[in-house]
Amino acid sequence: MSPIPATIGDFSILPVTIPPLPSFPKSAVHYIYVRRNVPKVPTADDSRRLFLTNIPVDSTELHLRSLFASLVGAGRFESVTFSDERSQDSESAADAAPLHAVRLLAAHGNKKRKRDDAEAAAERAREEEAAALPKTWTRTLHLTGSTAVVQLADKKSLEQVLKAIAKVHKNKKYPSWPSPENVPKLGSTWLKAHNVLSYPSKDTIQTAIDNFSTMFAKREQEAAEIAKRLRNEPDEDGFVTVTKGASRTTPASRIEAEEARKKMLERQEKKKLELANFYAFQIRERKKEEQAELLKKIEEDRQKVFEMRAKRGRFVPES
Amino acid sequence: MERTSAKRRKLDHSMEEPQGALVAAASTGLSKSRTFILEAEELLGEVKLDYAAAFEGAEGILHRIKGSIEAIKSHEAIKINDAASDLEKTHKIRVPFPEPHPSKDSNYKVSFSQPSQFNVVGSYVGKTMIKAQKHPRIDMVVVMPLDMFQEKDYLDMRYFYKRAYYLAVIASRLKKDFDGTAQLCFEYLGGNTLLPIISLRPIAHKGKGDSTSTPDYHVRIIPCVSESVFPRAKLHLGAALIRKAHSEDANTVATPTSFYNSTLAAEGCFLPYLTLLRMAEKKCPAFRNACILGRVWLQQRGFGSDVSEGGFGHFEWALLLALLLQGGDGKGTTLSGSLSSTQLFKATIQFLSVTNFAEKPTALGSAKADLDSAPDAIPILFDSKQRLNIAFKMSPWSAALLHQQAKWTRNLLNDNSTDQFNPSFILKSDVPLENFDLVARIDCGDASGESADLEFRGKAWAFGHKAYRILKRALADKELGERARVIHIQSPRYSFWPLTKTSPSFDKTSVEVRVLFDSVNMARAVDRGPSAGPTAEEKAECEKFRRFWGERAELRRFERDTIRETLVWTSSSPFDLCEEIMRYILGLHLGVGQTGKDITFYGDAFSSLVPLKSSDLGAFNAMRKEFGVFERDVRDLEDLPLHVREIAPICSELRHASVKIPLSGFGKSGPQPLDAVISFEASGKWPENLIAIQRTKVAFLLMIGSLLEKSKPGHVRTHLGLEDAQSKTENLAFLDVIYESGASFRLRIKSDLEETLLERQIKDKTSEQHLRQRATTLLSTFRRQYTTLPSHTQTISTLVTRFPALSPTIRLLKHWFNSHKLSSHFTEDFIELVALQVFLTPYPWESPSSATTGFLRSLVFLSHWDWRSEPLILDTSDEMTPAERTAIETRFQAWRKLDPAMAHTVLFVATSSDGTGLAHTSVDGEAKPSKVVAARMTALAKVALNVARQDGVSIDPRRLFVPSLKDYDAVIHLNHKAIKSILRTYATEDLASLEGGEDDSARRSKFKNLDARTGQDSLPLAKHPADVFLRRLNYTYSGPLVFFRGGSNDLAIGAIWNPQLQKRTFKINLPTSYKPVSRDEDEDMDAEDDGCSMVEINREAILAEIARIGGDLVERIDIKGT
Repeated sequence: MSPIPATIGDFSILPVTIPPLPSFPKSAVHYIYVRRNVPKVPTADDSRRLFLTNIPVDSTELHLRSLFASLVGAGRFESVTFSDERSQDSESAADAAPLHAVRLLAAHGNKKRKRDDAEAAAERAREEEAAALPKTWTRTLHLTGSTAVVQLADKKSLEQVLKAIAKVHKNKKYPSWPSPENVPKLGSTWLKAHNVLSYPSKDTIQTAIDNFSTMFAKREQEAAEIAKRLRNEPDEDGFVTVTKGASRTTPASRIEAEEARKKMLERQEKKKLELANFYAFQIRERKKEEQAELLKKIEEDRQKVFEMRAKRGRFVPES
Repeated sequence: MERTSAKRRKLDHSMEEPQGALVAAASTGLSKSRTFILEAEELLGEVKLDYAAAFEGAEGILHRIKGSIEAIKSHEAIKINDAASDLEKTHKIRVPFPEPHPSKDSNYKVSFSQPSQFNVVGSYVGKTMIKAQKHPRIDMVVVMPLDMFQEKDYLDMRYFYKRAYYLAVIASRLKKDFDGTAQLCFEYLGGNTLLPIISLRPIAHKGKGDSTSTPDYHVRIIPCVSESVFPRAKLHLGAALIRKAHSEDANTVATPTSFYNSTLAAEGCFLPYLTLLRMAEKKCPAFRNACILGRVWLQQRGFGSDVSEGGFGHFEWALLLALLLQGGDGKGTTLSGSLSSTQLFKATIQFLSVTNFAEKPTALGSAKADLDSAPDAIPILFDSKQRLNIAFKMSPWSAALLHQQAKWTRNLLNDNSTDQFNPSFILKSDVPLENFDLVARIDCGDASGESADLEFRGKAWAFGHKAYRILKRALADKELGERARVIHIQSPRYSFWPLTKTSPSFDKTSVEVRVLFDSVNMARAVDRGPSAGPTAEEKAECEKFRRFWGERAELRRFERDTIRETLVWTSSSPFDLCEEIMRYILGLHLGVGQTGKDITFYGDAFSSLVPLKSSDLGAFNAMRKEFGVFERDVRDLEDLPLHVREIAPICSELRHASVKIPLSGFGKSGPQPLDAVISFEASGKWPENLIAIQRTKVAFLLMIGSLLEKSKPGHVRTHLGLEDAQSKTENLAFLDVIYESGASFRLRIKSDLEETLLERQIKDKTSEQHLRQRATTLLSTFRRQYTTLPSHTQTISTLVTRFPALSPTIRLLKHWFNSHKLSSHFTEDFIELVALQVFLTPYPWESPSSATTGFLRSLVFLSHWDWRSEPLILDTSDEMTPAERTAIETRFQAWRKLDPAMAHTVLFVATSSDGTGLAHTSVDGEAKPSKVVAARMTALAKVALNVARQDGVSIDPRRLFVPSLKDYDAVIHLNHKAIKSILRTYATEDLASLEGGEDDSARRSKFKNLDARTGQDSLPLAKHPADVFLRRLNYTYSGPLVFFRGGSNDLAIGAIWNPQLQKRTFKINLPTSYKPVSRDEDEDMDAEDDGCSMVEINREAILAEIARIGGDLVERIDIKGT
């Protein structure tokens, strides 16, 4: 085998040997691509963070911890954030608020939200957590080709890691993918546990639901307050939003309006039909239209048959 | 005919096609009939034979034949046996005398003199041959001179002896003259052993070299006589013209020899009919094309002029049409000569569908027909002018089948909502197992009865005829209720034989009996015969019944104190019942089943695959009943805040459509609840937020669960299960309700507001694109779950009672999808609709009455369905208007225009309740199946159909259900034991102990009764573990791999690498696991491309990952080529 490049673009390549399993008795090499973390919005900790792409789908914090330990020894690895975990969190808390409240917040709450202090945010997170339904998996898989950000102890550790990776290419001693002890097992245990976890105790669920109801009610109230406040408050451009006191009626009345409109259209349609074929010229015109329509259709059918002929063999009886 | 309006007659057909066709097309207001006309026109152009190429050098050969025959020297009458042995000595030619041969001491004398006339007849002159005919042939008639015959020659086969001798003389001459340039042999004209003819096949002359194609035509030399030789009055159908055999026994009345008589009459009709057809062609410009259409129609249904093909071929069709044009059907109606070819075709079909000449003799023409003397039970289509039964070669069964086929085609032509053309002309519809529910092959044995010497259609035919008469009485008796709609006999066909041999005989041969069930009566196990009353009439009836049925007839008392002759059969399925009756009655009357007369049955082998049992219906019904109990229990709950509107089942077990019957009672595995959805009356109490709605639904389920447990303490357990949901706006939970009896159901709640909110989100232009996209997906999932599936379940449940064979057909078809690992890509409802399609638009047949025909026809449909350019429209409620159809088609066209690559919309299936066309073929916003998989389905159906057609009735059905694992790049084999262990679910399963990795078996006691967990209630199964595993794999590897898996028993998952993921340049967000391409290799390829290095899919690493995910669940992973 010809040698594998040590870098690709600005990424270092970290080859990891995968120990063979009885069900797949081949040793394979997995490649993780590593570079310094350079996010669009830089943070203070970037100097000790590594960006990893193409992590194995069964990666967990423990896996990566022991992988880094095998490269540069224990104690350097601090934590890891998987990209798909972050995206799940971003399902915004505002989603759980009543629809009209979300609207109002979107239109007017921008300024105010920025002022939300960390304390309020933490409070919200706590509420969310209390309302969350229990998880059904002992361990989640990552999508194939996922990314993660690893935080190391310090800047020096990061340099050491990169050096270690470069060294791996020279001496051809690839680290092997660990199988840590304390990670929940995959396979049948995993699926079995999933089935058990899918049926949590009813009390657990009841508590989560109750917490959610409390939170939802609170949000609803907040929204009502905002609405109230906005009622008399001109915005930046000097406009005053027209809102109703009882917010629930708004969508309902809209539905009513839609229905009324539909009814009106139906009535008009009916009237039209009643007057059709009333005058001689209407009949004449209708006939003309029908004729034209028929001719058009004949032409269409012909076209269809021609198209079918284009596909050879359509008209040959099967034998 | 009656459809011939004055308006149509006015159409001018002097114009040549295709303008003529266009005018005809314009004259009909219906689009489908218009398309039919245009397509028929295309067909006529396509099948037309190039006469110059196909019959190269034919004219010359015909002239040479004529010359040769004219050169034969006449000779005076000599004794027949002397003349025959003479021919054998000098020319080594056996005179093809019909059976029985003239006796050794026969005094008959034969002579030879010049033919009075030569003529070429048949479709060669009419130019109505088509490409698909196997061996085009030219019929040349040689009219034997009058002076050779005496008046009484019509008696006792004398005419046929003379004819055979005449033919042999001609053969001897032609053999000499055509030595080396043509092959000569004898054959029977239309399988009629009275009429041997010479078949001459030219051999390609190599000397000239130019023509590369060897001519593939035959010239048939047919001796006949002029019409005036025999007095027609003597040849009437009731006459007994073979008297010798019976002369010894003066008491017996000689049997009428209608077939013999008609053959003799037909000998004089060649030339008059030639004239008749020429006249018809002249009078009616479209006649020729109408004949070609008729030929195609007959050929696709297996009809032909040969006795073994039913005795109704192109010649008979042309005659019938010509007679209809000339004099009508005896009711005073005449076909107009100005009709177009398709109109003539339709008129003939109409005639055949209303005229049942198998049972009621029908006369054509104005002259008075004397049919009183005709024996009944033979099909009679009488040309009163020529006084000939033109259907004389037909058997009662072939006439009945022709009538039935014509009726089916008429139904098709009257149905303006479907494609009329393909079923009429393109589809091959004579494949036994696609046509018939039961096929039995009977060895006739060697002695087939005493009357065989008067049977000129072969002994096998005679045996078949007897069997038919018995079976018709046994299976298609109107009084008992017809079990069989069609009974057909296939007798073997005579082939040609060399001049030097005697004619072949079928001493050891077999016939095939084919039966089409009547779905109403086929499952009846008790036949009620005549009532045993005191009157003489009733007594006679009972006596007759007993004589026919033998000891199986017994007296039984029924309700209202009637006592009847009764037959009680022991089998349960329609097929077994029919087999039982056939074995019994044929054994009783014909000795079938005894030595030398074996009977073998075919057609039921498919049922054992699933297996389909007649008791399955009961199991399905029982589960429906259990569901009814569940529904009532929920409705009866008093403390629910909202009123229950509906509880609708949505799973295949509750619509008679699952491969396996629903199990009631507990098995080893945890209960697998059946899905249903519940909806409540409209309420304003639902919160106006999707997340909150989902939470409210969970709370609601909890409440229903606790109320149910309270209302039926001890009888019902409920478990709240969490969905494997990806977002908070999806449905989050379901309620599993487990009854003491073992029945279990899974409930999900429908909230109308959810739909409204999603619709609003989609319409909201201000929200972000990805949010709207998600809302669209959620909405389609919502609609599928809560609208489509309940109404689909309703539809199928209704239709399975209307079509008894629908449920087994669906199950067999699903088994096929499972076997080929397709089912993970198709929705169950789609497969059900495919099966339903062959019931709702069964053309060219009627709705199938058994799983085998239903399944094979489904394969026919799948292999023919051009889903790229045709939507599948099912009128499930029988009330779809043409406007609705047009709207659906327009929508289909729009989709194809919008997405020509078929990335999002592939199969388009619309029903009465769903006009969108995508409800059954997309799940979670994605096309199911994708284009590639749909193409695979079509390809597999084609292969399966080919195998089925090649192997015929004796097919081993398992061959159609063998998956080809070598098609997959990798095959993941699951461990059976591991799955079984996951299937055993225990409520008290300790998570910690699971993680501890203790072996399950180690903890379990050796003795079942000592196992602490045996008596415990088990948790329901959220989903089958293999399904969960596959779902995870699909989710994780949606980019690089496509997985294939069949039903829940399938232990092998096939996987194919996405061919679009090739070697590529590296970037940050890779769609899957890639490995770098080695440096030097890379440089070799393109040195300039230094900066962006190439990567390729790391297949081994991905498979190793799958092995890690699967753990002990995966037994092994096979890679293609290793």
